[in-house]
Amino acid sequence: MIHYTPLSEFDIIEDDPSSYENNKIISLKGRTMKVQKMDDGNFQITQLLSTDPQDYLDTDFIPGTILSLQDFQE
Amino acid sequence: MRNEEEPNKEGQEDQSQAKALMQKIQQLGQSQVAQAPDSNIHILPIIGQIEGHVQLPPKNKTTKYEHLIPQIIAIEQNPKIEGLIVLLNTVGGDVEAGLAISEMIASLSKPSVSIVLGGGHSIGVPIAVATDYSYIVETATMTIHPVRMNGLVIGVPQTFEYMEKMQERVLDFVTSHSNIEEEKLKDLMFAKGNLTRDIGTNVIGDDAVKYGLINEVGGVSHAMKKLKEMIDSNKDQQSEGSMIQ
Repeated sequence: MIHYTPLSEFDIIEDDPSSYENNKIISLKGRTMKVQKMDDGNFQITQLLSTDPQDYLDTDFIPGTILSLQDFQE
Repeated sequence: MRNEEEPNKEGQEDQSQAKALMQKIQQLGQSQVAQAPDSNIHILPIIGQIEGHVQLPPKNKTTKYEHLIPQIIAIEQNPKIEGLIVLLNTVGGDVEAGLAISEMIASLSKPSVSIVLGGGHSIGVPIAVATDYSYIVETATMTIHPVRMNGLVIGVPQTFEYMEKMQERVLDFVTSHSNIEEEKLKDLMFAKGNLTRDIGTNVIGDDAVKYGLINEVGGVSHAMKKLKEMIDSNKDQQSEGSMIQ
């Protein structure tokens, strides 16, 4: 893999494998999003992955929204 | 047992739905948020690092090609989508993934416009020029520098040749999809004294247009206007074509 970027390698790569565990990509109500697991077990939306501009206006998927386990059971 | 559980579950669901409704009424003073009609223009945000074959640590904001490429196919296939806007604020990333995304955007049959916001560095350059028309905001920059590599090198001449070819692929794509001359692009890439720790050039908004890399300086309203024009002329062509048949 060749990385073509003005950043140095040390800025990109880190050795801490635990950081991978708390970040997940999930699908909820037909939308794909990046979520981060919080200490209390809930998930917080960090990024919505969609090409439809209307999805970004949907109040249910604004980054920062906290998803509880109930949301996943629906 | 099961029969007893089910009504319970239903009750719970009703409760949570009622709760969500209450929240919405409290927040917005209404029970139903107005639904906008489906947009005929879709957006492709390309942010942070472009992630290739290796997953990058989560501290990086990344754009993954396994997300983007199926989305581009979906945009091509969906008849309701008539145009695409590519939003770039990227620091570069994997060469092959970046070129893959560029080729996908370039081979799209629907009109596409890109806007470089903030930065469109390194491998962001071919993605920015891959669309039919490109915009850069005045304050945005694009860093053009040679492809480098870190780590162990086995066989210097072979590695050099490989890197040279890799760089050629990027240069070829950029020159064939923009108005910049190959010589000019190479000059910018190998210029000394512009970047403190590297050779290359930091091209700012107006200069990118002057060199022919980007079509025009402009932001969202310019891009939307241009895209709508292109969609309309596309429709005209199609209707003319069907009349001849």
